Amino acid sequence: MMKWTLFTPELYYVAVASVFFICSLEKQADPRRLYRWAVPLAGIGLAVTVACARMEGFLFFDSYRVDLFSQVFKVFLALGMFFVVLVCNELQGIEPRKHGEFYFLLSVCTLAMMMLVSAVELLTIYIALELSSYSLYLLVPMRHRADEYVETGIKYFMVGATASALMIFGMGYLFGVTHTTYVADIVQKLPHVLHQPAALVGLLLALGGFFFKQALFPFHIWAPDVYQGAANQVTTYIATASKMAAAAMVIRFVGMSTGQSELLVQILVVLSVLSMTFGNLVAIVQKDIKRLLAYSSIAHAGYMLIGILCMTQRGYSSAVYYALAYLIMNFACFMVIIRVAPDGHNLQIRELAGLHKRSPILAMTLMLALFGLAGIPPTLGFTGKFLVFAAALEKGYLMLVIIGMINATISLYYYLIVIKAAYLLEPVREYPPVRVDPWTRVMSAALVIAMVYVGIFPDRFVALAEATVAVLP
Amino acid sequence: MLMTAMEFAQFPILSAILFSTLVALLVILFIPHDRPKLVKQVSLGFAALGLALSLYLYLTFDPQKGGLQFVERVLWVKSLGIYYFLAADGMNVPMILLTAVVLFTGVLTMWELDKRVKEYFALTYLLVAGVYGVFMSMDLFFIFVWYDVSLFPMYPLIAIWGSTRKEYGAMKLTLYLLAGSALILPGILYLWAVAGGTTFDLFELQRLGFDVQVQRIAFVMLYLGFGILAGVWPFHTWSPVGHVAAPTAVSMIHAGVLMKLGAYGILRVGMTLCPEGLVYWADLMALLATIGIVYGAFVGLAQTDLKYVIGYSSVSHMGIVGLGLATMTVDGINGAVFQMFSHGIMTALFFSAVGYIYDKTHTKMIPELGGLSKTMPKASAFFIVAAFCGIGVPCMSSFWAELLVFISAVKTYPVRGILAVSGLVVSALFMLRVVQKTFYGDKNPKWEHIPDVPLFLASPRIILVGILIFYGLFPRLILDVIQSAVVPFVNSL
Repeated sequence: MMKWTLFTPELYYVAVASVFFICSLEKQADPRRLYRWAVPLAGIGLAVTVACARMEGFLFFDSYRVDLFSQVFKVFLALGMFFVVLVCNELQGIEPRKHGEFYFLLSVCTLAMMMLVSAVELLTIYIALELSSYSLYLLVPMRHRADEYVETGIKYFMVGATASALMIFGMGYLFGVTHTTYVADIVQKLPHVLHQPAALVGLLLALGGFFFKQALFPFHIWAPDVYQGAANQVTTYIATASKMAAAAMVIRFVGMSTGQSELLVQILVVLSVLSMTFGNLVAIVQKDIKRLLAYSSIAHAGYMLIGILCMTQRGYSSAVYYALAYLIMNFACFMVIIRVAPDGHNLQIRELAGLHKRSPILAMTLMLALFGLAGIPPTLGFTGKFLVFAAALEKGYLMLVIIGMINATISLYYYLIVIKAAYLLEPVREYPPVRVDPWTRVMSAALVIAMVYVGIFPDRFVALAEATVAVLP
Repeated sequence: MLMTAMEFAQFPILSAILFSTLVALLVILFIPHDRPKLVKQVSLGFAALGLALSLYLYLTFDPQKGGLQFVERVLWVKSLGIYYFLAADGMNVPMILLTAVVLFTGVLTMWELDKRVKEYFALTYLLVAGVYGVFMSMDLFFIFVWYDVSLFPMYPLIAIWGSTRKEYGAMKLTLYLLAGSALILPGILYLWAVAGGTTFDLFELQRLGFDVQVQRIAFVMLYLGFGILAGVWPFHTWSPVGHVAAPTAVSMIHAGVLMKLGAYGILRVGMTLCPEGLVYWADLMALLATIGIVYGAFVGLAQTDLKYVIGYSSVSHMGIVGLGLATMTVDGINGAVFQMFSHGIMTALFFSAVGYIYDKTHTKMIPELGGLSKTMPKASAFFIVAAFCGIGVPCMSSFWAELLVFISAVKTYPVRGILAVSGLVVSALFMLRVVQKTFYGDKNPKWEHIPDVPLFLASPRIILVGILIFYGLFPRLILDVIQSAVVPFVNSL
């Protein structure tokens, strides 16, 4: 008898998706009403996911594993969806008649990624990943007056399809050398065969699909264009929730090698260094803040990989903590972007001029989030970097950590440019006033408190991250 | 009800000092924008409280007993072995006192500030919280966290309230210092990992000890990382630029206290944990310090901007600290710590004096000034006292500090020691040249109607002058404290 209760969060999101699917059938849906529905639905979703966090068990002939690792990431995903829905009250970037579809696809994508983090069988993983990808392929070109961004959607789709083709090719190799598609069995067999080129190539290609999601160099090429081309809320979702799922899967796949291949570690080190350095150097010259955050996300994928490539419990747990930190900080940045550009246009850095006068609370949220991304204490971004670097040094990767720290210094330069715009620059022309509704105030305050509190008192969250990865096969 | 002395000894005085700054920050944040006067009063009140507590700490610290006193230790992050661990010993008590003095006088010096007052004082308190944190913490994690906390407020403080290429100066300073911490963090984590990844407690790590090879690698990272902040040549270039760009009180805190964090970090973290690394690199340290002393003096000679002169003199004087540390002798390190203290007070006085002149004349170019001692004798006197202290005139606290360092330096590194002493002669030359050109000579008629500094605004400078002379006359009062930590430290090398 299957325990369907284990599937509660997913079922809930199926229901939510159905609700929005029905809404999308209406000819003239009222965006206000949709928003009023979406917020409580996403909020309840978060509550349901949290309530199910302690569940454990297997479903669907053991291809679906419910454990602390998957449930914690589901909470992150539900949190990401909730955050994004919250900032959709002025969804100007997307045509009003498409709002129903927007929420529908958002729910489906969240559902798909929840299934992804629980899937422990290659084909299930692949199908869940594709489901989430196709939702995003549709969300990206949904932007209002999208003609100029159609190219972005096509590019995203083409690159994504290629990545997933390579990925299933790699999974084929993995199956070939291990004769199984179950992760638990692969973990048993792969370390013994990892010296074979087919196994290593298979694992790397399979990882490539998730690296693509994470925008790790050289799988990053879609990121800047998609960040820029998608509506602000969609970008927020891609930059937060979808990164979570990718991080979870990279941890799971790298974990399959159980640290047996020196060559794999070397390859990951190279990717990590290239990703950090490339992302940070190119971010320096960006004028569009979404592009800047896209390049910074490439760099952050590199930092996160440092933790993962240690292949130790400490390394994985640091990556989980880092992922949570990244979710919160990145969301804070995007929330400010969405509020400062309520009409949904692409915000330039210079448009932030004088933000500290136009809205002190948004300016402060932005500053703390950027300091967090740069890894400055006492924010949770600092603690994240600290944990990742500590894990790497336990394995003796001193040079890697030094390179990481130098990169953090470089990144500070462009984050400071944004902070400078918000705090020091005087606007050259009148920008429209920033309307900050009470909800945004509450959210900003909550984010600021979260960023500082988790940074200063990380103990409980570190313990949670450690417990999360302790259950990995 | 009054507390008895015993009860008061249990009082977590270090936390009280540290958190008084954070409470001040919070209180200031809740004061409305249109009440700048209140912001200043609150700032002054908290600075006075900090000063009173620091004085109490200094007076109740027992040099006879030595070792760690006023210890507070709480487990913070269990799995990594991070402790909230504050303690006072002979090395940090003078630094805590210095910070309190500079903060107090800095608040007074900025009494006439009228631009974004609330933010200014809030950021200053954040900065000082970081500084106190570094000086008091005995846990590597917290030392690093506070270190970074102290660096960040510098950027807005300089970029908003500064002058002369302020944005460039602020950015350069921040990136340089962050590059320093890019070496410190891996250095600290490296030691932690090598020691088994179970504790960040400084003394626990010291007890565990490290291989020579590990010490050599870690020491050079820590030395360079902290050395950037200490203004070690050739990583000093951010420092004169930053000093010049910063507003008066920020220059005071920055040159007076923040640079000391660098030297203190080398001593507290680098030298304590990696004594064999120190032995290996001491030669290079001494060489860089000597170059810094001589180079700072010569470049100072060529400057026409008063703040640049002080900026380069700081490079030179911090070189003396570096040289003292590199001697690895009791006298040398005593002198170095004493020099940190007296240089902090002296530079604060320097910048405070220049600040007044700049506020009134809107220039700090030496050729445009001249004859100021006739129009503003009191304001000039403060600068001249600081200059004398900079030269190392007897009866000034820096005299004893420099004497101790140079005696041990000549003994330990004869050639470099003598070169360094000769640098001091050049430094005397440029100080006297500045004094002569700025305060004596022909009077510039433009400055005739400028009022001399009133008593209230003079009070911070009077305090600083008083301290310089007081410790010049009674150096043992502070040297005994310093020595109580340095003697066991040198014996353990």
